[in-house]
Amino acid sequence: MTARENAVLRARAMIVIGLVAIVVAVAWSARPHAETPAERVDRITSGLRCVVCQGLSVKDSPAESARQMRDLVVQRVAEGRSDREIVDEFRASYGDWVVLEPPLLSWSALVWLVPVAALLVGGAVAWRGMRTPPPQPPEAPPADVAALRERVAREEALDLPSTETP
Amino acid sequence: MSWADLGSAALRAALPVAIWGCGAAAYAAAKRDGRGLASARWSSLLALVLVSLAVVGMEGSLLTHDFSVQYVAQNNARETPTFFTVISLWAALEGSILLWTLVLTGATAYVAWRGTRELPRLATAALAVLLAMLAFFLLLVTTPAADPFVRIDPPFDGNGPNPLLQNHPLMALHPPLLYLGYVLFSVPFAYAIASLVLGEGGDRWLVATRRFALVSWALLGVGIVAGSWWSYAVLGWGGYWAWDPVENAAIMPWLTATAYLHSVMVEEKRRLLRTWNLSLVITTFALTILGTFLTRSGVVNSVHAFTQSAIGPLLLGYLVAIVVLSVGLLLWRMPRLAESGGVGAPLSREAIFLFQNVVFVAATLTVLLGTLYPLIAEAVSGAQLSIGRPYFDRVEVPLALALLFLMGIGPQLPWHGASRATLERQFTAPVVAGACGAVLAVVLGIGGAFAVLTYALAAFVAATVVQEFARGVHARGVLHGEGPAEALANLLRRSGRRYGGYIVHLGIVVIAVAVATSQAGTVQVEKTLAPGDTVAAGPYLVRLVALRDAAEPQRDLLVADLAISGNGADTRLSPALVFYPNSTQAVGSPGIAAGPRDDLYTILAAYDNRAKAWATIRVLVIPLVSWLWVGGLIVGLGAVVAALPQPRRGIATRRAVEVPVAVET
Amino acid sequence: MPRWLRLVIVAGIAALVVVLALSFRRDPRDLRTGTVGKPAAAFALQRLDGSGELKLEPGGSKIVVLNFFASWCIPCKQENPTLVRVYERYRGSDVEFIGVLYQDSPDAGLKYVRDNGVTWPTVNDDQGRVAFSYGVFGIPETYFIGPDGVIAGRHIGPIDETTLVNGIEALRAKVRK
Repeated sequence: MTARENAVLRARAMIVIGLVAIVVAVAWSARPHAETPAERVDRITSGLRCVVCQGLSVKDSPAESARQMRDLVVQRVAEGRSDREIVDEFRASYGDWVVLEPPLLSWSALVWLVPVAALLVGGAVAWRGMRTPPPQPPEAPPADVAALRERVAREEALDLPSTETP
Repeated sequence: MSWADLGSAALRAALPVAIWGCGAAAYAAAKRDGRGLASARWSSLLALVLVSLAVVGMEGSLLTHDFSVQYVAQNNARETPTFFTVISLWAALEGSILLWTLVLTGATAYVAWRGTRELPRLATAALAVLLAMLAFFLLLVTTPAADPFVRIDPPFDGNGPNPLLQNHPLMALHPPLLYLGYVLFSVPFAYAIASLVLGEGGDRWLVATRRFALVSWALLGVGIVAGSWWSYAVLGWGGYWAWDPVENAAIMPWLTATAYLHSVMVEEKRRLLRTWNLSLVITTFALTILGTFLTRSGVVNSVHAFTQSAIGPLLLGYLVAIVVLSVGLLLWRMPRLAESGGVGAPLSREAIFLFQNVVFVAATLTVLLGTLYPLIAEAVSGAQLSIGRPYFDRVEVPLALALLFLMGIGPQLPWHGASRATLERQFTAPVVAGACGAVLAVVLGIGGAFAVLTYALAAFVAATVVQEFARGVHARGVLHGEGPAEALANLLRRSGRRYGGYIVHLGIVVIAVAVATSQAGTVQVEKTLAPGDTVAAGPYLVRLVALRDAAEPQRDLLVADLAISGNGADTRLSPALVFYPNSTQAVGSPGIAAGPRDDLYTILAAYDNRAKAWATIRVLVIPLVSWLWVGGLIVGLGAVVAALPQPRRGIATRRAVEVPVAVET
Repeated sequence: MPRWLRLVIVAGIAALVVVLALSFRRDPRDLRTGTVGKPAAAFALQRLDGSGELKLEPGGSKIVVLNFFASWCIPCKQENPTLVRVYERYRGSDVEFIGVLYQDSPDAGLKYVRDNGVTWPTVNDDQGRVAFSYGVFGIPETYFIGPDGVIAGRHIGPIDETTLVNGIEALRAKVRK
């Protein structure tokens, strides 16, 4: 094997190893673990809206009402209520408005599809853009072609990343 | 004659001047008439002088505490410090619109005097568009809905600025930056409309407005970061972004403007994506108006809902007119724009730019719909519901990560397509760096898959940028014999657009890492303390020393003195509750100890209002959050480098250097 | 750009404009979500004057006016004379007034009660649970509970005499039927 082929193999190996390492690291950090009660309270309060604030969650807000709501959630979690029951208790008093996500079993759940739909539509448009062949650049006169060849050879020798000379 | 009389008269005089100028410019563009152009030019200049006089009149009224002017009575008081008096020009609606008008007039005058010398006919038509917009804003500012010089029976003392607005000197920075960003985008929009109307101009308008678009984008971006800083330092909840409707209103045009800045490169280089670029310009401008509308009309409840006013319907009408006219023009001219071919290879720089267009638009659409959905739901079915952080975070984070990825591979791919060898050569080091980033995140214990992925992508992008700089410096060394420092300086000067862009990418990477780390690793602790008690938060120990009253000239404070120790720290922080005389609610003022590794953020959440025997203190340890502001600064610096005019020189190199024919890598 | 996409975009923009125009009709601060029309929650709270507990069991054929207040709340102070006046009118009848102290210390609340001539029973909602069960957004808030135990109405903000009297009289009319 020539030195060049060795180098190429090395590069490919490093890319593969690198990608695998990233995937493993991400999977490792995504491993499920048992949720502590404190984490459960944090999760529930992140989804509840502080009633006296401008859209902050109960978890984020330092307001007195938010702290009292948090205490209530802590108590209910300790009592063993389910997430649904705890949230419903607040919804009974304040309506759907107090939940920071749109209710799942309704038309509103469609908002979750918006980004997906946008990406699909955009992707389709982009795909069409790519299917059309690119416009053909005009033929260069012979003298220019020779000069261009020489320049390309020089740049390749210098290992420049693109066709632009800095 | 009082200052207010001066200002009011100036504004009313400016309106007919703008209308005349618009007509003159339109005539000049249609008939290629030189005198019409001269007339339009002088109208623009006169309008600038008049609107400047109006601003002087408002500042004069503010500084002399002229409470017969309603705006001054509502936003100023005798004890207000001079600094805050001056910046109350933009404290509320009417003054903000006046500031907007001033910036718009400035941009119009610039186009009138500089722009028309470069691209006479196109710029003249653009000038007509700008003057039409200026006429609208002057009309707005002279109607009772938004007239800053409305007179009332003067009270003895004014209300003073809203408490939230005089807590921090950042109020000086955030609105002007945002307005400059918003308004300067009118110029590329005006050129785009002119190009559509005249059916000509091809791609030249992009080049003519490139700097305006870049500067506007940079100011908007830095303005948003300044707003985040204000939210963090002033609003006192420990966070910097809450997906508040007004925050969303600012970021939407920034997202499409970013897409536009990149996408124009494809048009310049390969004359493709014309429809995309025109659509992006129109969308960005429409979003700036929508943003103003959402902030000022009172239809959404938000942090900025200081005033509700009758300006809402007027702004909505303006928005509708803009959208209908520009979309109509675009659809009319679309056959003429038809491009001669497609993008071609998926692994090419232009394809990446096309992908980033799609992702940015998807991100913007999501924010738009998320912000407006509660309005829609209530209009349709009367149901009141909320869409907040959980939705936006969950949807926007993956899109942001996709953009980070595209940011890394885009600059590395050549135009027209890449071969496999190119890919391997370009991406070996960045992928390895990405792996190191991922491993670093795991080792540091930064939790969550998204955080690890962010670290990996951030390292990937950073490595590509470093690689580009290294290659550029190396190439200059070989071609021109320059040393590294000189080569670097020349890279920034001669290829400022490219390398300035890389610096911006680095800034974004810093912001991404700061956001991911602060979101994943914040420690929040709350405890009720009596003086002498301590609470532990992360590695720090916080002791309540005392709870005391303090009085300043225009406000009273209740201060909690805290002593911080642990982890090598030894400081005092004083979070407080601030009481303004004319406001019933207290405003929280956090005590923040900022540092390169983390910020210690303290909030006085509650206190014993009878005997000051206890206080509830909330302490947050937020890692790396200060790097957010540093990242914003880097983005700004990169934009400056990219916007600087390049020195003109010949293409041929000055010094001939012997170059070996083949070099082993 | 494909034809259908153009139509979608135009339709989307038109829908957006219509929605924004319609949204002018409502006040974003008007939050109707709440407990009106639902059975009122029963509670047992400590009285401010220290004389023990007060139990509220709605549905006991009495009309209850429940007012949430605090000593630090300026609009509460502003509405207080109205409450005092109207209370005097209905004293001894089938209408009960109860004041609920919200996010305040009981001593400060008691002082407020004494200084402002509040003679109806007042209790301390120390953990805020009662306020949550009624759906209180911020004080002052006044709730009208009918003899059937259902929350008939709510007023957010300082209440004026007309609204207060009308609310009470509407419930009394229901009783008489």
